[in-house]
Amino acid sequence: MAIVSIRGLTKKFTDAAAVDDLHLEIADGEFVSLLGPSGCGKTTTLRLIAGFLQPDAGEICVGGGVISSPSHLVPPERRNMSMIFQSYAVWPHMTVAQNVAYGLKFKKLTKQQIDAKVTKLLGVVHLSELKDRYSSELSGGQQQRVALARALVVEPQILLMDEPLSNLDANLREEMRFEIRRLHEEFAITTVYVTHDQAEAMATSDRIAVLDRGQIVQVGRPAEIFDHPKTRFVAEFVGKANILCGRLDGASRMRIAERLEIGVMPNPDLASTTGEAAICLRPHNIVLTAVQSEAETLARQDYNVFSGVVQRRIYFGESADYTIDLAPHPFTLRVVGSPSKLYDKGQRIFALARPEHCVVVSNH
Amino acid sequence: MPVSQTDTLGRLGQTGWAALRFKDPTFPVWIGAALLLVFLMLFPLGAIFRASLWGDTGLTFSRYLEVFTNEQSLTAIWNTLIISISVGVLAVIIGALLAWLVTRTDLPWKKSIRALVMASFVTPPFLGAFAWTLLAGPNAGALNKLYRAVTGSEEAIFNIFTMPGLIFVMTLYSFPFVFSMIANVCELISSDLEDAAEILGANKWRTAWTVTLPLALPALIGGFILAFLHSLSLFGAPAILGLPAGLHTITTQIWTLFQYPPRLDMAAAFSVPLLLATMVLIVAQKKILGRKGYSTVGGKGGQKRLIRLGWGRVPVLLFVLGILSLSVFLPYWILLKAALSKAWALPLTWDNFTLHNLSFTFFEYGDTQLAIYNTFKLGLITATVGTLLATLIAYITNRNLFRGARYLSFFALAPLVIPGIVLAVGLFIAYTRPPLVLYGTIWILFVAFLTKEMPIGFSQAESTFKSIHPELEDASRIIGANRLTTLKDITAPLARSGLIAAWSFIFIGVIRELSAAILLFAPQSKVVSVVIFDLKEEGQIGVIAVLGILLLLVSFAVIITVQRLAGRDVVATRE
Repeated sequence: MAIVSIRGLTKKFTDAAAVDDLHLEIADGEFVSLLGPSGCGKTTTLRLIAGFLQPDAGEICVGGGVISSPSHLVPPERRNMSMIFQSYAVWPHMTVAQNVAYGLKFKKLTKQQIDAKVTKLLGVVHLSELKDRYSSELSGGQQQRVALARALVVEPQILLMDEPLSNLDANLREEMRFEIRRLHEEFAITTVYVTHDQAEAMATSDRIAVLDRGQIVQVGRPAEIFDHPKTRFVAEFVGKANILCGRLDGASRMRIAERLEIGVMPNPDLASTTGEAAICLRPHNIVLTAVQSEAETLARQDYNVFSGVVQRRIYFGESADYTIDLAPHPFTLRVVGSPSKLYDKGQRIFALARPEHCVVVSNH
Repeated sequence: MPVSQTDTLGRLGQTGWAALRFKDPTFPVWIGAALLLVFLMLFPLGAIFRASLWGDTGLTFSRYLEVFTNEQSLTAIWNTLIISISVGVLAVIIGALLAWLVTRTDLPWKKSIRALVMASFVTPPFLGAFAWTLLAGPNAGALNKLYRAVTGSEEAIFNIFTMPGLIFVMTLYSFPFVFSMIANVCELISSDLEDAAEILGANKWRTAWTVTLPLALPALIGGFILAFLHSLSLFGAPAILGLPAGLHTITTQIWTLFQYPPRLDMAAAFSVPLLLATMVLIVAQKKILGRKGYSTVGGKGGQKRLIRLGWGRVPVLLFVLGILSLSVFLPYWILLKAALSKAWALPLTWDNFTLHNLSFTFFEYGDTQLAIYNTFKLGLITATVGTLLATLIAYITNRNLFRGARYLSFFALAPLVIPGIVLAVGLFIAYTRPPLVLYGTIWILFVAFLTKEMPIGFSQAESTFKSIHPELEDASRIIGANRLTTLKDITAPLARSGLIAAWSFIFIGVIRELSAAILLFAPQSKVVSVVIFDLKEEGQIGVIAVLGILLLLVSFAVIITVQRLAGRDVVATRE
C-alpha cells in the first residue's frame, strides 16, 4: 500500500529553511497537488520524497517504512517511484521506444515482456507511430507524453510530477491536464503533483495542499480550497479575490468601515470571533444592479449591499470585468458580471453578495 | 548503521544534490580523483617554495636576494617586461582589429580568415620562430635575399635576432588569443546599441569608436593580459631568437640556471616572482572580465547587421591577408621549402628538390624515431588520462557531489597561473628524489603535461556538463538506475562530443609543448619539440622542417576530425 506519510519534514539550504516542519498524509491511489508560488518549497518537498535530497529533520514513510530521515536514506533508484520533470528530461540519444524501455532494464523481464509493455504504454499515450523518433524530432507535448510513458511503464508505487506542464503552450497545457487526470483514473497510482498554476491543480487533483514559505497552509479538496480558504494567502493565491479587512463582531458579523457592517461566513479555524480579520469575496459571487428597488429586495433576503460607481469596465466577450469604487469607503470591488447586461463607466451601481460568499479568512 | 557514519552522511546530505553515501560504489572514484588533482597541483608548487626558501642552514632568503641583485637576472626581468608589454599591446591591436572586421563588417572570405587565425593559433611559437630565422635571418634570410636582389644593396633589411624581431614573432602567435576573446564579445554586442548612436547623428566610424569600443573594453584589457601572460611564459621563441643575440628573458634565464652546473635553488627562487606576477594578472583579468554592468554584452545579442566597408573592402582584405601571411603563409612556405629542398636557401627548382630530408628524418637520424614515438605516446596517454580526470573533476564540481566540491575547480584551473617552465622546475625538484623518482623517464613529462593541460580539459568538460541538464540524470535514477549506471547510460553518451573536444585540445597541447619538456627530458625521453630545439644547434634545417610540418599536420588532422564529430567551431570554444 502506497500510503505516504510526511512528518515534520525540514530541509535547510545555507540556513534558510526551504521546507519547514511539513506534515502531510497521502492516501493510497490519491492524487495530491502541492500548490504555491515559486520559492515556497514545493519542488524541494518533491525532491525529498524522490530521495534526491536528504531531510535535515523529520521523516518520510511509505506503507509504514521509513524511506527518508536525517539518518537514513533509501536511494532514489530503490524507492519504486517515477518522476516527471519540468524539462521532460527525455534522453536525446535514445529513441522514444528506448526511452520508455530504459526503466524496464532494471526489472527481471524478458525482451518480449519489455517489448509488450513498451508497445502497450506507447499506445496509451498515443505515441505508437513515433516510437523510432528522437526527442529532437518531437514537439513539446509529444516529449511530455514520452516522459509520461517512461514513468508509467515501470509501474511505480508513487508518481511524482514537477511542474510537468509549465513549458507547454496554453492550449496544449489544457489538453494535457485532462490527459494526466485520465491516466490517473486508468492507473490509480498515488501521485504527488507540484505546480504553481491553480487551474492545473484544480483540474487534476483529489486534494490540494497550498504551500507558503516551506509550510502547508491548507489542505483540502479543490472546491474546499476555492470556496473556503482559511487564510488571506490561500484566498489570493487560488483564484481572484476581493479581500476586505475589518473587525469581527461575533462569528458572523464584520465591520469593515464606518457605517458598513456585513454578514459573513464564519471560519471555524479562527481562534476568536472578535478582532482583526478579513473576508474573501470572489468576483463572480457578486451581483450587480443599477435598480434601487431590486437592490432593496435582495437586501431584505440578507444580501450585503455595497453602493458605488463603476470605475472601469473591461469587456472579455464571455464576461465583463468591473472595478467598483465604493467611495466614501476606501475600497474598490472587482466584479465579474454577465456580458448580457453591461454597465458604463461612471454609472451609480449596487453590488450585492450573500453572507455565505463573504468568507472570513485570517489576515495573513 | 554506526553513529559516526550517520553524521558524515548527514553532512553530505546538505550539499543539495543526491546525498553521496559510502555504500555508493562510485564514492571512492570521486574522492580519488579529487585527491589526485590536489596532489598534482600542490606537490610541485610546494617543491618550488621549499627549494627557494630552504638552505643547508634552514630558512633563508639569500636566493631571492641574489636573484634581485644579480645584474643578469635584473636584465632578464627588464627584457621580459618590455617584450611582454609590447607583445600585449600589439596583439590587442591586431587581434581586436581582425576580430571586429570578421564579426561586424562585410569583409569577404571570413571563414577562411578564421581558419587562418586558427592555423596561427595551432602553430607552436617555437616553430614560427624557427621559420622566421629562415625568413629574416640577417645573412641567408629569404626576405633579406629578396631585398638584396631587388635593390642591389649589400645590406640586410631585416634582422630577426633582435628584440623587435622577437616581439614581432611573439605577437604573431599571441594575437589569436585576443582574437577569439574579442570575436566572442563582438558577436554579443547588439546592433541596436550602435543604431542608437547612429540615430543620434554619429557616423559609423564614430559609433565604432564611442560605442562598440567602450563596450568591448573589458575584453580588450582581458585580451592584453592574456597575450602578456602568454608571452611571459614562452620559452621557445625567446630561446631561438633572443639567445643568439645574448638577449635573456626570465624563462631562458631559468633554463640557463638548469645548465651545468645546475642551480636548482636559484631557478626556484627566480620562478616564484614569475608565478606571483602571473597569479596577480589572472586575478585582475577575472575581475575585469567578470564585472557586471556590461549586461548588454552578455545578453541575447539582439539583431546584428554588418557595417559596410564600401570601397575599403579590398584594401582591408589585403591588409588582413598580409598579417596572416606573416603568421601562416610565409612560415609554412619556408618550412615546406626547407623540407623539400637540398639547400633551403636556394630556389625550389627541380634540381634542388629532394625527399632525402623525409627519409633522413624518419629512418636515419638518431633521435627522431624515438622522439616521435614518445611524443605521440605521451599525447595519447596524457589526453586520455587528462580527459578522464578532467571529466571526473568537472562532474564533481558541476553536480556538487560533496561539500566543498566547487573549490576543486580552483585546483583544476591553477596551472593557468603556472608558466610551463616554472612547473618544470617544480616537477624536477619534486620528482628527482624519493619517494617518487620519475626523472629520466617519460612519466615526469606525463605528469608535467597532465598538470599543464588540466585547465583546458577541465573547462571543456565543465562546459559540457553545464549543458547537460541534471534532470536527465535524475530521470534515470528514479526509475531504477544507480549512479554508476546513470553515468554510463545517460551522462557519458550525452557528453561524448564535448569530451572528444577536450581530448583533442589536450593532445594538441601536449605534442607541441616545449617549455616544460626542455627541463624534464632525458636522453631516452626526448620529444619532438625538444629534438627540434636541439637540432637548431646542429643546423639540421631540413629535419626541423619535416618534424615541424609533421606536428602541424597531425594537429590540423585532429582539429578537423573533432569539428566533424562535434560540429562546432574549435577556435570559439577554446578559452
